[in-house]
Amino acid sequence: MNELFRIILSLVIVIGFVLINSLVLVWLERKVSARIQLRRGPLYVGWFGLLQTFADALKMLGKELIFPKNCDKVLYFLAPILSFAPVLGAFLVIPFGQHLVIQDLNIGLLLVFAFSGLSFIGIFMAGWASNNKYSLLGGMRSVAQNISYEIPLLLSSLNIVMMAKSFRLSDIVRAQAHVPFILLQPLAFIIFITSALAESNRTPFDIPEAESELVAGFHTEYSGLRFGIFFISEYTYVFISSCVATALFLGGSHGPFLSGWAWFLMKAYFVVFVVMWVRWTLPRLRSDQLITFAWKVLIPLSLFNIICTALALQLLKQ
Amino acid sequence: MTQTQNDTHWITEGLTVESALEHVYAKNGFHQEFVISKDSLRELAQRFRSREYFLECLSVVDYPDHFECCYQFNRWDKIHRVLVKVRNPDKTHPHFPTLSDIYEGANWYEREGYDFFGVIFDNHPHLTRLLLPETAKIHPMRKDFKGDSGTDVEDVLALIEYEDHQYEKVSQELKNKYQKDYFINMGPQHPSTHGVLRLLLHLDGERVLETYPVIGYSHRDHERMAEYKNYLQFTPNMGRMDYVGAMSFNFGYIGLIEKALGMAPSPRAEYIRVFSTELNRIASHLLWLGTYLLDLGAMTPFFYCFDDRENILDMLEMLTGERLTYNFFRFGGVAYDVPEGLGDQLKAFIPKMRGRLKDYKILIEKNIIFMKRTKEIGVLTKDQALSYGVTGPMLRACGIAYDIRKAEPYSIYPEMNFEIPTFPGCDTFARYQVRLAEIEQSLRIAEQAFAKMPEGPIKGEKAPKVSPKVPAGEFYFAVESARGHYGEYLVANGSANPYRLKQRTPSYANLSSLSSMLSGHLVADVVAVLGSTDVVMPEIDR
Amino acid sequence: MEIREIQKVTPDDIQVSEGVALFKLDQLLDKARSNSLWPLTFGLTCCAIEMMAVGSPRYDIDRFGFGVFRATPRQADVMIVSGTISRKMAPRIKTLYDQMPSPKWVIAMGGCAIAGGPFKYPGQYAILEGIDKIIPVDVYIPGCPPRPEALVSALLKLQEKITAKKD
Repeated sequence: MNELFRIILSLVIVIGFVLINSLVLVWLERKVSARIQLRRGPLYVGWFGLLQTFADALKMLGKELIFPKNCDKVLYFLAPILSFAPVLGAFLVIPFGQHLVIQDLNIGLLLVFAFSGLSFIGIFMAGWASNNKYSLLGGMRSVAQNISYEIPLLLSSLNIVMMAKSFRLSDIVRAQAHVPFILLQPLAFIIFITSALAESNRTPFDIPEAESELVAGFHTEYSGLRFGIFFISEYTYVFISSCVATALFLGGSHGPFLSGWAWFLMKAYFVVFVVMWVRWTLPRLRSDQLITFAWKVLIPLSLFNIICTALALQLLKQ
Repeated sequence: MTQTQNDTHWITEGLTVESALEHVYAKNGFHQEFVISKDSLRELAQRFRSREYFLECLSVVDYPDHFECCYQFNRWDKIHRVLVKVRNPDKTHPHFPTLSDIYEGANWYEREGYDFFGVIFDNHPHLTRLLLPETAKIHPMRKDFKGDSGTDVEDVLALIEYEDHQYEKVSQELKNKYQKDYFINMGPQHPSTHGVLRLLLHLDGERVLETYPVIGYSHRDHERMAEYKNYLQFTPNMGRMDYVGAMSFNFGYIGLIEKALGMAPSPRAEYIRVFSTELNRIASHLLWLGTYLLDLGAMTPFFYCFDDRENILDMLEMLTGERLTYNFFRFGGVAYDVPEGLGDQLKAFIPKMRGRLKDYKILIEKNIIFMKRTKEIGVLTKDQALSYGVTGPMLRACGIAYDIRKAEPYSIYPEMNFEIPTFPGCDTFARYQVRLAEIEQSLRIAEQAFAKMPEGPIKGEKAPKVSPKVPAGEFYFAVESARGHYGEYLVANGSANPYRLKQRTPSYANLSSLSSMLSGHLVADVVAVLGSTDVVMPEIDR
Repeated sequence: MEIREIQKVTPDDIQVSEGVALFKLDQLLDKARSNSLWPLTFGLTCCAIEMMAVGSPRYDIDRFGFGVFRATPRQADVMIVSGTISRKMAPRIKTLYDQMPSPKWVIAMGGCAIAGGPFKYPGQYAILEGIDKIIPVDVYIPGCPPRPEALVSALLKLQEKITAKKD
């Protein structure tokens, strides 16, 4: 009973955190992009435009919700929820601090991947149900991309599992008490971040919603709140990816002076910043080049990396 | 005289020629003119095609007693503009032979002729409306058409009803006809069709099987307006036709009327014209660069290019008082003299722009994604370019140094020291290279023109105070706009307004070549290739 | 008759306090809407370039929260009709307007969108003389083309219009 109460309470906290966090992230994105682009960004709505995204969210609440003609109403309605809900599950196992983790499962890492792997089903459903060819193209691209990049994502994190000898995220963080794994596994880190970018549909891999090609991709027909949910889930995925990268490679909550959760959040936000930086710097890949890149470059590289890691571990043991 | 006749004996050998004329190029822009019979036209066109002449322009003119098709053929390497006329006295349903299988560029010109004049080109593969909506019942450029300005709302409502009805019908038909492949409409409202272009793509998955550009969504009857307004009243239209590079269009129209009147602008005005045109060309190329990279998915360059462009607009605003749709050139001169302080701004701007250009080159060409997206995409061969009459940076990206500023020099361009950048790639990357190199050359020209600018009045001595009357005759004048060969064919009858003013706009021919560049590419490449053609829709739709 | 009844209600009546709360929420929503006007990426002719320029570093309408240009009408709040409306294009504009979710606003930018601009002359056959003949317009911006500052000012005007007291 006590356990159940704890879970419900943490779910409420997580949902609140996710909502506020993604609003802040959107604000941050607009500020970062503005700085990169010689502009100022949101400035007049609230202090430094901080209330800008809250205004946007409130506006979306008040917008008309449209069912397009001939759409599949059930799927159309379910798609945004299905793309958003799994990401909440991923928060279960993220070790924000030494003991700040909702449920410290021994297969935590797998759980994160399992949940984040579900996201594209929502996207594909949105693409299919909208009865719009641009949406369908976006949905198809999303499936191809997610399936391809899931593999290097898992393979690159396998190195870490081999070194930490555990799937439990808190164990992995504990293993980095002295040296963060990014120093030992730089290649795995690069592969991980690249694949994570692709998994969360960010530039240069944002082909499912490529604005200049597919208008808005899979969410072309979505308006108001439903579009808002897609928007929030995208940013939450970025944040979750950054959290996992922090736990796997950047030493998680380890750091001097400050308490653990502060270090964790700082590192995670730094990764988010890098992701934004990449987005406003690079052009977009073409869909076939994207898939080729995953299968012909990333996967062989990560396999090679795994072999190297295994050999090194074996040698060190002897 | 005899020399040219000998050289060009092959043109009409064995064909029925109704009359032949030798023109003085300096006076009206043509070298030779032939009036031939309808049956000899195709044979003649084939001869031109085999000797690497391109179809520069096709204009239909409605004379009181006959319709006339005026074909202009020209060469890239050595300018030789031949005007070939075919006449048909049938005033209701005039028939002409089609050239669309010999010159693919003729396809659109002929559809436009059908659209505007109701002229029928026999054996044309797809003779339908080009610029007006499908429901239109009028042939507006005919002299007996009196206009229907009162019916605009009814027309629109009728079109809405027609399209709703047609949509159901056509979509059902297509569904039955095609199983695996499908059609998708890109535009007229699409973030990267650069205005109101509509591309009907026939796709198999993401692969493009066929592309059908549909134009006319910003048709504003410039050509008919020219017949209704007098020569001076028509000048503001030039700034609205190609609003990105408005100065070149000013140059084209004013130059044409000056040529027809046989007068020269004042020397100072010539230099002001040249440096303002070149600055405007840089602004146009910068806008292209920004939006092109936006099409490829990189947002940030857009803002940097606009930042630089604003500097140019500042200078041009000092000079003309306008930011975009310049109406600055006057017959025999320009509207205003160079204001104080412009020289300093220009001197500060040129080195800054050169530095920025270097940055752009490093940032763009060192980016592997950009290279992968543009190299060997949208290849346009030299022969295709000839067939479509492609000009401007797109042609120079095929390695052909055809630039009006050198090929048939006008104004003070012969005195300027500059090069024509060409690249042999034929692909979208080569087009990017050409435009970036042209920015550098335009900076050179602007610098020289400003430095050499003499003192004196800004209007020539003979500059007309009121709208002039152009003597009867036919005139052609071409300039190099930011997008290519911009020419105007004027038929004057001695009255206060033109009898016919045909605009040969560069993007029109360039865009018609799009479908041949796209087959086999992916949807993402459609955007990359379309962006590389640098179209400005109102200039195409006119 | 109804008005009298409402006047009779005492201040501590539940209905009134609900009404006040609703009114406040309404105002808050209006405030949010007015600060987050996302324009539709939709350019017609010349004015479209000036519309692009307002996003550029010098004018930067993102400062006011108007900088999120959406390419799909489903996610846009305000349509900036920037240029001449040809008769061929007018049905598409109407479709786009119909596809936008309410509440939505329209700005007619430039002479052509207001009344045909320089292309209106007796006997023209190609254009629709003013976008307000087919869709309702909230703010008109004169100019050919209007400067980017004028567009920014129009958006601020629209903001005023949205937050103005309604009776």
